[in-house]
Amino acid sequence: MARTFRYYEKKRGDRRTGSSKLGSVGEAFLFALFLFFGCVVLAVLLLTLAIPEWRANHQFREHVCVVLDKRLAERHGDDGPLYRPEMQIRYTVDGETYVRWAYDIHNTYSSGREAAQQTLNQFHVDKDNTREYPCWYDPDDPGTVVLVRGFSWWFWLVVIVPVSLIAIGGVGLIYSMRHWGQSAERRAAMAQRPLERELFGTSGDTSSEFPYVPDVAQVTDSPGTRLRYRLPILGSPGWALLGLLLACVFWNGIVSVFVGIAVTGHIGGNPDWFLTLFITPFVAIGLGLAFFFVRQLLVTTGIGPTLVEISDHPLRPGAACQVLVMQSGRLTVNAMTISLVCEEEATYRQGTNTRTETRAVYRDELFRREGFEVHRGMPFEAECDIWVPERAMHSFKADHNEIRWKIVVEGDVAGWPDYQRSFALIVQPGNPGDG
Amino acid sequence: MMNGSSIAIRLDGDRRTYEPGETLSGEYSLLGVGRNGVKAAEVSVLWYTEGKGDEDLTVHQFWRFDADEGTADPGRDHRFETTLPASPLSYDGMILKIRWCVRVRVFPTNGKQIVEQKDFRLGNVPPAEDAEL
Repeated sequence: MARTFRYYEKKRGDRRTGSSKLGSVGEAFLFALFLFFGCVVLAVLLLTLAIPEWRANHQFREHVCVVLDKRLAERHGDDGPLYRPEMQIRYTVDGETYVRWAYDIHNTYSSGREAAQQTLNQFHVDKDNTREYPCWYDPDDPGTVVLVRGFSWWFWLVVIVPVSLIAIGGVGLIYSMRHWGQSAERRAAMAQRPLERELFGTSGDTSSEFPYVPDVAQVTDSPGTRLRYRLPILGSPGWALLGLLLACVFWNGIVSVFVGIAVTGHIGGNPDWFLTLFITPFVAIGLGLAFFFVRQLLVTTGIGPTLVEISDHPLRPGAACQVLVMQSGRLTVNAMTISLVCEEEATYRQGTNTRTETRAVYRDELFRREGFEVHRGMPFEAECDIWVPERAMHSFKADHNEIRWKIVVEGDVAGWPDYQRSFALIVQPGNPGDG
Repeated sequence: MMNGSSIAIRLDGDRRTYEPGETLSGEYSLLGVGRNGVKAAEVSVLWYTEGKGDEDLTVHQFWRFDADEGTADPGRDHRFETTLPASPLSYDGMILKIRWCVRVRVFPTNGKQIVEQKDFRLGNVPPAEDAEL
């Protein structure tokens, strides 16, 4: 018997996809929770902070009082003692005399003992020579009185939290409600061309001649010096180096604090062996990061730039063209290869992580040479023909999946780490009937 | 009652492979559905991915028929027709597959949605092989 509510739907590829109904319910519930908590927190803030403060500033009546006594009120907070200045005052409203401990409207405590003490010092208690001070009382409840007024600037910082929760929850809930019960196809169609699709069911043709094939302009916007186009390198080495450097500094910075503690203990004759053993694997990872960074730095700066030019672009299945590879630097090359590669790339979420997996599905070694020298000012040049197989798959790029064609230059250089540099190519679909 | 109800999708000429730019046409019919048993029906010509990555799905053409507008009559065959795009072509890779299909989704007046799809290939790209072996 079929269940009316399924937690999992059919298996897609290597994973199961969750129930879309359960997903929609969970999504709406989460946004509703955000909205609810945002409203509750905002209401509490308004009722306990904003409205009393506004009333004290605008509706409380000015009056005079005498200070009978004063004290530094203290209570224990999570991070230590908290203080608040309090004055015992006497004032008379409509013939009735009130004696109250008062200061501001919020009755808030803070950790600043000195600031509270300074506030206390501003008020003089002298029973023989009483001095009058201004105060403000609530006309609806004359027993409520303050000695200071004003607005708390930090309220507007605090209020950002509930307002953000309300905005995220509200917008998300409206989105969830609008798409409630809609099929994945309808949502996709609406996202692609909202009005036309809904009203007229028009075609999903995009403006591009080849939908989901990457734009050719990203390759053809750089002219070559010998051949027609110069191909862009995939993955800028500068950014990769910077990212690696930041990771290295961050990791080793934290680890060095614990290393310092451990080393100090050993030098002082009081070694902490548990700490020493505990941080050893973290130190090893830090050293590995540093080694990898230095290696990449050497590859990037020590081995000169690699340039790749191509005679025609974009490519089509069955088409051939010329490629020129130029390698600069002062190198003793043990081996260099140039390959045409097609690889699949899949991006997926696993828990809170986003993972990427690649798999080469075509590799054709176009050029190989062993044992030669590259001299400074005289780049090594290799020319070869490339040919995209008949009926080969075209380049493809969607949000989570990609098929990428590229020229890969790999080098084994004496005295340097091996290196690999990739250059993007676009292969468009062939003409119908070609294959 | 929608028990035993189903959707039959037929592509003209019983074709399973199309070239980019060709016209895909066919019809679908609802079987075992009473005259007032359908609230709405949706027909999509779409592609989606399977494999390691999260699913990408794009609808090439979408029609929705509502009973309120009198266009979701279950008692007759419904035709559809569209010109297929130049890409993406169907693909059987190692960690990525691109599938094309005609998908019909029926929203019954009572009971659960019924979904049926007819797969077809766009283009003639052969299955990929692992180049890392």
